[in-house]
Amino acid sequence: MTGTIGQSTTPDKISGVAKRSMADTSSKTPRRRFFEFKKDIPTSWSITLGVAVWVSFFGVWEFAVWQQWANDILLPGPVKVLSALYTMFADNGFLNDVLISVWRVLLSFALACAVAIPLGILMGTFRTVEAFFSPFVSAWRYLPAPSFIPLLLMWFGAGDMQKLSLLFIGVIWFLITLITDYVKSVPADLIRTSVTLGGNRLQVLRTVVVPASLPNITIAMRQMLAVSWTYLVIAEITAADAGIGAVMMRAKRFLHVDEIMAGILVIGVLGLMFDFLLRQVYRFAFPYLEGRH
Amino acid sequence: MPLDDTILTTNNVSKTFGSKTKAVEALRDVSFSVARNELCILLGPSGCGKSTLLNIVAGLEDPTSGSVSLDGEIIHGPSRQRGMVFQSYTSFPWLTVFENVEYGMKLNGVPKAERTERAEKFIELVHLSRFRDAYPNTLSGGMKQRVAIARTLANEPEILLMDEPFGALDAETRWHMQEMLLEIVETTHTTILLVTHDIQEAIFLADKIVFLSANPGRLKTVLDLEFKKGAELKSKEDLIALPGYLECEREITALMRAEAGKSEEDY
Repeated sequence: MTGTIGQSTTPDKISGVAKRSMADTSSKTPRRRFFEFKKDIPTSWSITLGVAVWVSFFGVWEFAVWQQWANDILLPGPVKVLSALYTMFADNGFLNDVLISVWRVLLSFALACAVAIPLGILMGTFRTVEAFFSPFVSAWRYLPAPSFIPLLLMWFGAGDMQKLSLLFIGVIWFLITLITDYVKSVPADLIRTSVTLGGNRLQVLRTVVVPASLPNITIAMRQMLAVSWTYLVIAEITAADAGIGAVMMRAKRFLHVDEIMAGILVIGVLGLMFDFLLRQVYRFAFPYLEGRH
Repeated sequence: MPLDDTILTTNNVSKTFGSKTKAVEALRDVSFSVARNELCILLGPSGCGKSTLLNIVAGLEDPTSGSVSLDGEIIHGPSRQRGMVFQSYTSFPWLTVFENVEYGMKLNGVPKAERTERAEKFIELVHLSRFRDAYPNTLSGGMKQRVAIARTLANEPEILLMDEPFGALDAETRWHMQEMLLEIVETTHTTILLVTHDIQEAIFLADKIVFLSANPGRLKTVLDLEFKKGAELKSKEDLIALPGYLECEREITALMRAEAGKSEEDY
């Protein structure tokens, strides 16, 4: 109490002094050092450094090929890989394989979300629902999805169903767990506010729990979509006649290392594209979070 | 106090947390009442269970024994009759100021035209008209609390419950908020039950102070603040200049210290 009384006599003066001293420190820009603990760097720096890492990577690669450090069948240069990529798209109908892979990822992921989002929301909101599903979900989470491949191959053969179910199993349990945790972290006071304004259970769920956890659900989706790509490649490498992974395995049989590398490149680019897309969705759908992320 | 003037009463409210083997008694036989249009303060040292008591009045927690009645009817669970403002910022970040204030009325099916009119009136009342379409993320702590107050009042509760509503604000903002709350009371004649541990805040705002003692929380005394009767308080300075103020603060501080001393081993 005495603190507030003391301050009340000279609030203007106190804040005035604080402002002036802040201006003093910002007017002097100290010499920037390259290694600085946890300090933001200018955009030009981060762009230059980001480009530099790729230039070095391709430089070392090209250098290694030029120096013949490895058999050039096993290690083709970046230019050769890019030209193989062009041939694949132009002459070998690679686009079709890419589209099949994208379709597999998107369909299986959409199915996984259709189950995981409602279930995760209910598990994160109601302890009873959590107590029922949690032991089941946790157990499945520790079973590596690829261990189901032999079983899935026997059930569904080498067709799409086997791929889709592997991708589904691969992400669903983690997706449920992540969403449950995010929903649980919705501040209790937001729910209590709604309830004391007259909200019933359905209204609280619809107008508080869901909108409060949607941004984090989008983040969970972004994280798990990346995992989905991993399982796609595993599924397509083990048994498939179409898709990026299948093309890469065929290339291996003919010792076309440049095509294998082109496949890896395409998967990487696709992964980045989807990540970027979901990032944009996040920014567009949750404008009120601007400046927080 | 005449009986018909009473809006809220707690009857021998007791609350024990935990299991039988490791029970913690938070409240024991607390009975008090709040009159219509009164600003009643629940004051006491930490650990006196004042927030628990407010939660029970809100219906967010059930008493272990005893009951709470509003307008003579025993309450069960939360309702819009007892709107609550929390210490933490509870503006919904995905709604604008206007949508936040409109929120409760929307839940209760108030028609759009009336909703808009009432929301605008209460946004004006808390001086946020300029920020009508802003998201809470862009507002200061004090402004977020004003949104919460407007939102609860626009919903027309019988009584406004406030749990240390200004506790997270800096001192200067706190004064403004306290002065604004008195302004609001003057225009809306809302009944308020407010929990605080800030003695000066209690004296400044209260028509009546219900003082709780700690471990377990029991009713210690009810203070009527005779020295404030009839005085027109617009600002903190008016209060401090009032004869009898210092004596009152000294008295309550002594009460507080006596209670805190009892549970010194807790600190």
